[in-house]
Amino acid sequence: MHIYAFGSVCRGDVTNESDIDLLALVRGQDSRFNPDKFSIYTYQKIDELWRSGNPFAWHLTLESKLLHSTDGVDYLHELGRPNPYISGFADCSRFRILVSEARASLKNRSRTVVFDFSTIFLGIRNFATCFSLAMCETPIFSRDSALRLGGYSVPIDSACYEILQRARLLSSRGIGENLNSENVQSVIDKMNVIDDWMDKLLDMVKNNGRIQQ
Amino acid sequence: MDEFNNRMNTQRLVLEAVNKKNYSEELFGLSSPAIARWIEKNHLQSNSRMVELVFAVSKKLLFIATKSQEQVSSEYQKMSLEISMILEAISLEVD
Repeated sequence: MHIYAFGSVCRGDVTNESDIDLLALVRGQDSRFNPDKFSIYTYQKIDELWRSGNPFAWHLTLESKLLHSTDGVDYLHELGRPNPYISGFADCSRFRILVSEARASLKNRSRTVVFDFSTIFLGIRNFATCFSLAMCETPIFSRDSALRLGGYSVPIDSACYEILQRARLLSSRGIGENLNSENVQSVIDKMNVIDDWMDKLLDMVKNNGRIQQ
Repeated sequence: MDEFNNRMNTQRLVLEAVNKKNYSEELFGLSSPAIARWIEKNHLQSNSRMVELVFAVSKKLLFIATKSQEQVSSEYQKMSLEISMILEAISLEVD
């Protein structure tokens, strides 16, 4: 068994809303680990992620720290670097679809607005991380990756971004103040900007080539 | 269809079904803390049928999440079917 910390706590990028991301590597089903608190992976699955050059493998390679090892070995370190990341366009397309589906839901329903905004936040964050992995010299795994792409950052104001972030915290951690109708409308008004940003960056990934941040 | 997006869409369907019942605060997600908040804000009984169904579907989706890197198996298909059945039961609770 191996236990790692990863993410913001390893970057030192901590705020009062940060949680501590923990990874457990296990042989099979292991009931000692609460899935609400740990990302639980078998060694076989981790090896597969390394072989496929999965973004999570790169995240762990660049931003994880061993907390406990039953055999004295740093398993992830021993794996070396994952295979090159080659699925930038496929991954960015996937998150583009996720955001489009959340947007379509906003048009049709009113009962899932917080979840839809939360999904949009997750979508643009993961999209930006995959974009950075495919296109930038230094990949960005921060939860604010969409704001950290320099000239390619999502062009929405901080108030709009914070509303999406609030929705994410409400939906995932059940904390924060509920959104009001003014909050909701202010984000809906910016959805075209988010769409255009994603389409522009998706074209760049499709055409490939590194960018200067 | 992409498995991750599929799981998010299923979660949306569940929230849509639950929130048809006009709670004073909607259910925002199927994570344990989001469910706990919904129970508290709406003064729900933890042993009520609706709460049990929401916890059940949350658990099933979590199971599928941990299977996301694996091939679709009969176990996964069975789980998807069980989610559909819970969704139907939630709709009956709302009516």
